[in-house]
Amino acid sequence: MSGPDGCGCAGKGCTEKTPEEIGRRAFLTRTIVALSAVITAALSTTGLGYFVSPAFQRRDEDWVDLGRAGDFKAGAPRLVEFTQRKRDAWVTSERRSAAWVVTSDGKTFTAFDPRCTHLGCPYRWDAGSSRFICPCHTAVFGPDGKVLSGPAPRPLDQYQTKLEGSRLAILPKAEQIT
Amino acid sequence: MKAYEWARERTGLDQIWTALMERKIPEARGWVGLLYTLGSATMMIFTVQAVTGFLLATNYVPSPDHAYDSVRYIDSQVLFGRVVRGLHHWGATFMVVFAVLHMMRVYFMGSYKYPREATWMAGVGLLLLVLGFSFTGYLLPWDQKAYWATVVGTTIAGTTPFVGAMIADILRGSDGMGPRP
Ligand code: HEM
Ligand code: FES
Repeated sequence: MSGPDGCGCAGKGCTEKTPEEIGRRAFLTRTIVALSAVITAALSTTGLGYFVSPAFQRRDEDWVDLGRAGDFKAGAPRLVEFTQRKRDAWVTSERRSAAWVVTSDGKTFTAFDPRCTHLGCPYRWDAGSSRFICPCHTAVFGPDGKVLSGPAPRPLDQYQTKLEGSRLAILPKAEQIT
Repeated sequence: MKAYEWARERTGLDQIWTALMERKIPEARGWVGLLYTLGSATMMIFTVQAVTGFLLATNYVPSPDHAYDSVRYIDSQVLFGRVVRGLHHWGATFMVVFAVLHMMRVYFMGSYKYPREATWMAGVGLLLLVLGFSFTGYLLPWDQKAYWATVVGTTIAGTTPFVGAMIADILRGSDGMGPRP
């Protein structure tokens, strides 16, 4: 190639180029493409990070205080209602829910999701037979949550529990026990 | 390279490249040549605005009771939220600047003359769109600046003879500002 476009030199006309030499036009094109690639990479990394960040967000653990652990008596499961405040972005919402709290020794506690694992009815504690009984389709669970009879496909779902000093707290997110 | 060849044969990649990168311009010496890049610069900013605008829209809530909070959320909690918002903010400003500069170059070089009158008219339409976006976008954060700019802007529209009140109502979506109390 010869002429002003393909010429690597300025001013006094063109010299022959060796194969490694590139012309002004090719040089500028490459520079523009390279710069564009850098800018595009920087902008896309930013945009992509912004876009996918919800998948990697740290979520608050929403532990709920259920009161003094000593108030729960062995052999007497109790339905505790609680209000949970959740913050998501700029919105704080309240959710009312409940948990069945069971203890056999006053030291270790189990909390059950109050919905039957069959189709979601609220079951109750039958003190006479020491069992949980669901009124909807007669599912029966033991105090440990195991299915004793009826159509329920799996034991009662549980909430994580922990003791904070003398107080009992739960994480009201139903976990399936199979 | 195979994939490139495949796409080249089946799409207009070459024409796009030629149109964007190898457009012929009148012979220009020195820095004058740069004036021919103003349109492309405007288009580049437009691309950035479209992408960052889409991203902001994934978190922004266009309602008087959530707009401000959702913008603060983007600024303070979303990963790169400040960068994305900053790009869109400054992009909006500079898109107007560059569109106007580009129009001035077209005007002073006489590039609007035959046979480019239609291009000029299309450009006027685009400029109005840019100004429209610039104004409506400015109102979205619904902070004090946005609120009073809306008051002023819609009141100006309201001074139109005969149909002014109607236009103002349409722009505000109601007969007052914000949700009716
Ligand atoms: C959204 C805003 C706009 C974009 C993205 C845009 C984009 C472009 C681009 C990339 C070119 C190629 C040539 C150059 O850059 O000089 C161009 C040419 C042109 N633009 Fe725009 N433009 C915009 C607004 C306008 C406005 C506001 C006007 C005038 C009212 C206008 C009138 C023209 C004319 C007449 C040409 C042809 C110039 C020539 O052939 O030398 N454009 N535009
Ligand atoms: S829902 Fe409880 S038994 Fe069907």
